[in-house]
Amino acid sequence: MAEIAQTARSRVIARRSPWGDLFRKEDWWSIWIGLGLIAVAVALFAGGGSIKWIAVAPQKWSHLSDVTLQLKQHALQYAALFVLWSVSFGIGAAALGIKISRFLPAFLLVYLAAGSIYFLGLWDQAAHYNLEPPLVALGLGLLVSNTLGVPRWLDPGLRVEFYIKTGIVLLGASLPLTLIAWAGPVAIVQAAIVSLATFGVIYFAAVRLGLDRRLAATLGTGGAVCGVSGAIAVGGAVGAKKEEVSVAISLVVLWAIVMIFLLPLVARALNLSTGVAGAWIGTSEFADAAGLAAAQTYGGYAGNVPGIAGNPDAAVSAFTLMKVIGRDMWIGVWAFVLSLIATARWERTAIQSKSRAAEIWNRFPKFVLGFIVASAVVTLVARGFDYAAYKKEVVPALVAPLQAFRTWAFTFAFLSIGLTTRIREFASIGARPFYAFTTGVVVNVVLGFVLSTQVFNEFWNRLGQ
Amino acid sequence: MSAPASPSCLSCKHFNHAPADLEAALPGLSSLSSAYAAVRGDDGICAVHQRYVTASSVCPAFA
Repeated sequence: MAEIAQTARSRVIARRSPWGDLFRKEDWWSIWIGLGLIAVAVALFAGGGSIKWIAVAPQKWSHLSDVTLQLKQHALQYAALFVLWSVSFGIGAAALGIKISRFLPAFLLVYLAAGSIYFLGLWDQAAHYNLEPPLVALGLGLLVSNTLGVPRWLDPGLRVEFYIKTGIVLLGASLPLTLIAWAGPVAIVQAAIVSLATFGVIYFAAVRLGLDRRLAATLGTGGAVCGVSGAIAVGGAVGAKKEEVSVAISLVVLWAIVMIFLLPLVARALNLSTGVAGAWIGTSEFADAAGLAAAQTYGGYAGNVPGIAGNPDAAVSAFTLMKVIGRDMWIGVWAFVLSLIATARWERTAIQSKSRAAEIWNRFPKFVLGFIVASAVVTLVARGFDYAAYKKEVVPALVAPLQAFRTWAFTFAFLSIGLTTRIREFASIGARPFYAFTTGVVVNVVLGFVLSTQVFNEFWNRLGQ
Repeated sequence: MSAPASPSCLSCKHFNHAPADLEAALPGLSSLSSAYAAVRGDDGICAVHQRYVTASSVCPAFA
């Protein structure tokens, strides 16, 4: 901490302009990149063209010779795509303060590894061997980071949140605005029930176990609202101890990783439809990137695993509606309310925090706006087409290339999760925080399952069709 | 244009809210979130009290 204090001396002391956030926060850069790609795609589509040349993606293959052939035929496109991603993410990273000379070599390796995993997922035997790309990316990353170790020079390229938020903005392009308006309220109701119950269970279990209320609240929002992001938002708002925030982060990461594997496995055993499984994962996973890994895995089962009904994209769509619209959007409100309670009711600390309603907007996950704008733009473009023309013209020239971009961005993120997760860090979690959080996990998973499969099941099934 | 500095944590020498330093100080933060995320606001770590606090907080140890 002495080093941190030393570094802090050179910090800018004037309050920054709020407009500066447009270029110094990852959320905004994910919007600029995601909407920028969508704007170019729409402009080309309007002129009778398509962005699909550069949105190259692997196709189904049976033998390694097919892969070689695909790579030879599309080498220039893959190189151009690398340049596009490098420039887009590189500029964003540079604006965030990450040296571009350090970002680019690391990103090259991420791109190559993600491309290999993307190809592997398109092998016609991949489903047979359970080689779903999100799980392979995560598993490979975990294996490397916890055995061989990850060299320091790779760190600047492992930006999980930057990639996942950009992917979520791009995901908006394949979700009609009418669907968001139709499903959003149900997602908010379901998520609110589970979030309040989970928070209450974790908070009161933690207090009963003798933990500090600030830690209890940080753990509670980590489990109930938006994972690590929830933990840091509320940890800061209530002025938690540094090690308490660390404990909450470790617990969320631990359980999020477990759930990536567990939720699709159980949903598959129960033959849940893609829409229902996506809603359950959206209710019961703790972080966006982890949940999208689980939801994309499950979507991949549709058409490949007997008994799994629904559209492959429905799992990711239902997850996103539940998690992003139902849970993430409300983090500012949670932080504000808990900061008010901490200031008024809890034992005082040497530091006085100020509760300001402006924090609701300050902490709002802005990438959600990009997701909604993306949906509105493509919905507007598609308005003049009937269903047959939409499938024949809009999907191949506009929507499918944007879906390919999204899959790339998600794969970068899934790989980065594994490569940044160190299992040994979980050793610092104490027994009491573990018990409190785990109690909430059980309630969250069971309640999320009941609401998704019993109470709102017809609704989520319809979404999947 | 920037507003003048106030005696809050934001302008205190003990307060660090540099994203790269926060990700180094809070292991796991970059695995499933980010110190560059909007949800963090301008929160940072106070080296005196070892707390993770908002930039608008105040305390007698301000320096």
